[in-house]
Amino acid sequence: MSQFERDLRESLRRREPPAGFAEKVLARTREVRAHRTISWRWLGAAASVVLMIGATLFIQEKQRQAEGEKAKEQLMVAFRITGAKVRDIQARFDAIQKRVVYPQLNP
Amino acid sequence: MTKTEFETAVREYQGMVYSIACSFFHNPAIAEEVAQDVFLRLYEGHRSVEAGAHCMAWLRRSTVHRCIDMVRRSSYQNEIQMETLPDIPVGAPETDPLLQEHLRRMIAALPEKSRAVLVLRFGEDMDVEEIGRTLQMPANTVWSHLQRGTAAIREKLMRRMKENENEPVRTRSS
Repeated sequence: MSQFERDLRESLRRREPPAGFAEKVLARTREVRAHRTISWRWLGAAASVVLMIGATLFIQEKQRQAEGEKAKEQLMVAFRITGAKVRDIQARFDAIQKRVVYPQLNP
Repeated sequence: MTKTEFETAVREYQGMVYSIACSFFHNPAIAEEVAQDVFLRLYEGHRSVEAGAHCMAWLRRSTVHRCIDMVRRSSYQNEIQMETLPDIPVGAPETDPLLQEHLRRMIAALPEKSRAVLVLRFGEDMDVEEIGRTLQMPANTVWSHLQRGTAAIREKLMRRMKENENEPVRTRSS
């Protein structure tokens, strides 16, 4: 090994970090951990809010669907009643027509 | 790595991490900042790092890469210009602290890759293959950086010493 290399080694030899370095690092990790806990809490709260909003919207949608189904059924009943009435009127109309147009057939 | 092992690693390798950063920047404040940052990164990913040799290699690699990143992203790269370094006293003894200081500043003024190679070679006593693995570069490239870095420092030292020898002695009255 040359003198130059020895000088380089000497100039780059290990140096001790300032006093309390390890404690500073460990304190910062505790801060990170605390910050992370707070972040998780906020995340949990935000998730709960999103879940509640989602559930509310889901229930509202289900209610709306149920109301739609009910309205549809009512409409179908109305159509059935109307159809029956129309058929009844048609039958009466046919009977009158037979009497008026073809009286010889109905003495 | 458990939390206890992390704490042990901080105490065990703080000197190594700090020394690499300090040799890189020749600035204790920046070195401390980098070293703390590296240990925080280890803390973030401590579950994937095994204690012992793996942790030491991880720390070395992370420290050097963090230093290189910092040099590239900031103005530290041009903080020390070789031309602005103070003159070396002629006939300085081999263990002269001024010469050591001068060498440290010269190393800190090298391009980041050459600087990293020199710090790992002479500071961490790693061989070319190990440095290649740490810096993820072929051994030939490491060798080339090593040669270039040492040659630059050697040339600068010689030139400064010659300039000092030729310079007339100045007195207060002149």
